[in-house]
Amino acid sequence: MGAAVAEWTVAAVLLQVAGLSLFLYGFFPVKPTLPGFSGAESYRAPSCGPVGCGEGPALPPDQLRSLYRELSEVPHVYDRLVLMVIDGLPAEFVLGRGGKPPAREMMESMPYTQSLLAGCRAVGYHAKAAPPTVTMPRLKAMVSGAIGGFLDVALNFNTQAFLDDNILDQLHTIGYKLVMLGDETWIKLFPTLFYRQDGVSSFYVKDTVEVDFNVSRHLESELAAKDWDALILHYLGLDHVGHIGGRQSNLMTPKLKEMDDVIRRIHAAVTSIQDNSHRTLLVVVSDHGMTEVGNHGGSSYEETDSLALFIGHSVESSHCSPYDQKEALQVDLAPTLALLFGIPIPKNNIGVLLPELFNSLADDQKLRTLELNSWQILRLLQKQRPAFCSEDCVDSKDDFGADMLPESTEKKLCRLLSKAFASHRSSLLHRDSNFRSVEAAGLFGAAVDSYSGFLRHASEWLSHRATDKPLYLLASAISLMIISCFSLAGIISCIFKGPPQIKVEHHSELDLDKNWHLDEVFILMGIFLYVASLGSSSFVEEEQYIWHFLTSTLYLIFLIKTVQSILKESNSTLVHRSETKTFHKNNSSYLASYKLIPGQQDGCKLYTVLIVLVAGRILRAWYQGGINWVHFPDISKILNQSDSSIVKSLQTISVLAVVVLYSVSLMLLRTRRILIIGLWLSHLSCGLLVMLHIWKSQVDTSVPINNHSTTSIAQIFYVIASISVTCTFLLSPWIFPTHSKEAEPTSSSGSNPEKAHGLNHSVFLTGVTYTMFWCLLQLLLQQPINAVPVLLILLQIISSVIYFSLEKSLHRQWVQVVAMQFLGMTGHFGLGNTNSLASIDVAGAFIGISSYSTVLSGVLMFIITYGSPLLLYLGMVVHMSVKDSNDISTPQQWSSVLSRMIALPCLLPLLVNSIALTSYTIVLLLMRNHLFVWSVFSPKYLYVCAATVCTYAGVLVIAMTGAYTCAVLSFRTRNYRDKSVDQIDG
Amino acid sequence: MGAEVTQVSAFTAVLAHALCLAGLAAAHSLAGRGALLSDPAHALRLLVVCEAPLVIVVFSLLRRDPKRCSFLKAAARGLLGLPIGAFLNAFGAIVLGAPVGIKYWIATTYWSCLMSLFTFVPAACVFGASKVDWQNVLSHSIYGTSSNVADYMISAPSHGAVIGAWLGAWPMPLDWERPWQSGDTNALVCLMLSRVLNAAVGTSLYYHPHFSMHSIFN
Repeated sequence: MGAAVAEWTVAAVLLQVAGLSLFLYGFFPVKPTLPGFSGAESYRAPSCGPVGCGEGPALPPDQLRSLYRELSEVPHVYDRLVLMVIDGLPAEFVLGRGGKPPAREMMESMPYTQSLLAGCRAVGYHAKAAPPTVTMPRLKAMVSGAIGGFLDVALNFNTQAFLDDNILDQLHTIGYKLVMLGDETWIKLFPTLFYRQDGVSSFYVKDTVEVDFNVSRHLESELAAKDWDALILHYLGLDHVGHIGGRQSNLMTPKLKEMDDVIRRIHAAVTSIQDNSHRTLLVVVSDHGMTEVGNHGGSSYEETDSLALFIGHSVESSHCSPYDQKEALQVDLAPTLALLFGIPIPKNNIGVLLPELFNSLADDQKLRTLELNSWQILRLLQKQRPAFCSEDCVDSKDDFGADMLPESTEKKLCRLLSKAFASHRSSLLHRDSNFRSVEAAGLFGAAVDSYSGFLRHASEWLSHRATDKPLYLLASAISLMIISCFSLAGIISCIFKGPPQIKVEHHSELDLDKNWHLDEVFILMGIFLYVASLGSSSFVEEEQYIWHFLTSTLYLIFLIKTVQSILKESNSTLVHRSETKTFHKNNSSYLASYKLIPGQQDGCKLYTVLIVLVAGRILRAWYQGGINWVHFPDISKILNQSDSSIVKSLQTISVLAVVVLYSVSLMLLRTRRILIIGLWLSHLSCGLLVMLHIWKSQVDTSVPINNHSTTSIAQIFYVIASISVTCTFLLSPWIFPTHSKEAEPTSSSGSNPEKAHGLNHSVFLTGVTYTMFWCLLQLLLQQPINAVPVLLILLQIISSVIYFSLEKSLHRQWVQVVAMQFLGMTGHFGLGNTNSLASIDVAGAFIGISSYSTVLSGVLMFIITYGSPLLLYLGMVVHMSVKDSNDISTPQQWSSVLSRMIALPCLLPLLVNSIALTSYTIVLLLMRNHLFVWSVFSPKYLYVCAATVCTYAGVLVIAMTGAYTCAVLSFRTRNYRDKSVDQIDG
Repeated sequence: MGAEVTQVSAFTAVLAHALCLAGLAAAHSLAGRGALLSDPAHALRLLVVCEAPLVIVVFSLLRRDPKRCSFLKAAARGLLGLPIGAFLNAFGAIVLGAPVGIKYWIATTYWSCLMSLFTFVPAACVFGASKVDWQNVLSHSIYGTSSNVADYMISAPSHGAVIGAWLGAWPMPLDWERPWQSGDTNALVCLMLSRVLNAAVGTSLYYHPHFSMHSIFN
């Protein structure tokens, strides 16, 4: 039975892991990207061999600028750039839709812009934005030309700065001075880039006037100033108007008029100083569109329909049709601007240059720009598919005849590219022979066509690879997880229905019948409510409230049940007195082994529940806000502002309390073995080390560099703690007697309690040692402010364990296990964790690490973040030991003892976690087009995945401890019996 | 319960609750529309002051053992039960997340007094210190098993009030910026609702109109 359960459990877990990894792979595709920044090598044809050290010596900006311009063989078209971003402006407002001009009131609200368009002095595109249509990823796409995945964000969570190749950094390297006014997202992305900056926050969505005034008030002086080369303006007001009232808001027309006025002012200013060294390009773009009601984030036409409007000398022409539906991609902005300003195209760009911007160039220069763009894209293709590396891709024979055959995308792209290169070469030959004719024009046209064909197809192919979610893969991943979840539930129900030696509930004299109880119903309902709340972004942001509410309600129910049982007991004292007495006498578990008279025991039960409740309330007050309500006043903020000596004394008190609690629990064992004394001493020394570390780090805050001593203190702590815990794990089953001397070895009934005694003793020792050392580790690693919460969580665990050991019969075992797990999750948020990646304590991950190591600091970060749930899993080991295990029917069956002890503590956390994981995965899949999928739901998914890892780790510890202890004890019992049998025989 | 215990008829029970409800409605109308949201402390004070004598008198008249226990004694039990019940309710509310602080304690006090009037005081008046009856009140197993109207009369509304208050304490992190969202007023709305529903129907099933799981995105 036990072995089968274990096998099934492992199978279910493996299934879950498989499903989870499939989902992660499908939902967060990690596409290979090229590292580093483009340099001079981007002006040479790509080769697939080992990339030589392209990084030459870093040139000063001026030399780099002239080098680029010389290598590119194309004169730069503009000298200055004004990039005006109007947040949330749909292209439809300016360019109309489907070849028709925009509605009359829209035309009238932007008179100047419309006059530019009608006068063929501007060219506008419907620049399709890729989902998620929210500002930060879209800005990244515009400047880098790449469509990033979510994991790109998650993997550099400690900085928001944009580290990939992009045109702003490229402009900066060739000595451009950049000025940024508007949305502070730009400053977050490029914290050190701007020469001058004034960021505004987009936090107050209600404000539609001040945000834009704060940008426009600088316009006068900036437009007069000549010291900048690129000016970025980001207007948020229009997006706010949309959020308040939708597209048809009556604030929209005035806002459009205001934007039009800004365009007029800028255009007037830049045309007034137009000379050969100040040719200015004005680009008006929007980062995304908006739906009818003004939301954005998804992938509908209204949301992705963003604007790219170019105003400059190179787009002017004599005749044009401004309201034709000219489609482009938002990422096309990057290569276009790069080529116009004579800088290398960013490495991971998948955009295609917009040919109308290059009208002022000669034919061969146009071809050269197309060639540069194609080389860059080819490099990216080669990185993703080695097939593009082979020589016959680029230099294939002219087999233009085989056009019609269906072929793979790679082959098609290869063919288009080789055709383009070939016609480019022949076009160049014709130019060299100075033979201008119809034939040359034809060759030029063919080259342009094949280049554009290649670029368009390659860009499409690359962008699909970045955004497409393989639904069948995700669906199969989810079905794997669902199967795993159901099989875990099936295993548990098997255990409940299984043979009675697993589901022994001996003292069911009170009310453990087949009925459902309030606490059980509440747990099921609570899990359901929790799962339902995951579907709302606001609830995900403030998840700590749900957990606190569920946990405190559960413990209030425990309180009510306890009061009820006390009332009942005192009502029927006469009937039950004798029974309770024997019950208490038989009780061999530790905490109950203290001789408590029933009155004291009742008081004890009440106090333990009250301690859990009060501690939980303080924990909640410690950190009030999650993501949205982070500004709420709470204890941690008060302490942060107060004197550091208060925090230090709180830390000291917590360390002392943990040391004292460990000593008390060791005294409960009532043995003076050398191991126990040694453990006590090592725990004491660890406590002292933590105190020393606290003291040192407080002193060292003034001199942050000199932290060798604190590092070595932490390292000594790690060594001592790990040795102590390992020794306890290995040795504790060996030191307690399996049999008392007086017991008859042959009489099984006599030896039963003793065996349970030895088992309970050793598991208790191991569990307490785990818990207390873990607490010290947390006190070492956590922020100073978190010392008291760690202590409170420890108190909650101890109280719960005492309560459950006193009230064995009132709650079923599975209720106890789930209650402990709830405590762990509440404590997780009580330690200041939220569902945003920003709340991960990165600073603590370097304590005791002398050299940078991603793995070690990752492990430490995990330990810090999941300190509380792991603490509860370790506390579960203690809880297993204080369970009543008198009722072993046959002494030989160690396996049944084992499965009874660890089955539920292992399976229930797995099941609860599996329910949360599976349902949240489904939620994430349903929300994949939601506005907050990248900002709220995906970070939460990472937390859910990490919680799964944490559950596996905790369950592994529980199972290992139980299995090892039982194995050793069974070995010792067998030995003892053999020996005694030998003695009798002899 | 012996033969000397007076059985309360269903009609009397309904009448008692109707009286209490009328008092509640009167106090509510006295406080003015929306006062519970705009000035909770004042409105709650008014409710407590109006409701307290009414509840104590009505339920003292319905005391379980009128022969051995005078009306005054029952009323005194009710008066004693008011602060005790208020303390217990305040504890529950704070544990579930009610704000603690100087500027909140007046509202919390009145709120818990009112809750005590709904839950603890009637039972104190009717049952006194009888452990069996208290145990019955605490237990949910009386439904369908007990034939005593008094048990239902006390248990069902107080369970309803507790569940209503509990639902009201459900965290509401939605960013809708509506006035009813601020924690304790929300609890009050639910409390009123539960009171009305339970006194009338005697059941503890409700529907909380603001309790919808979807969020509105800003």
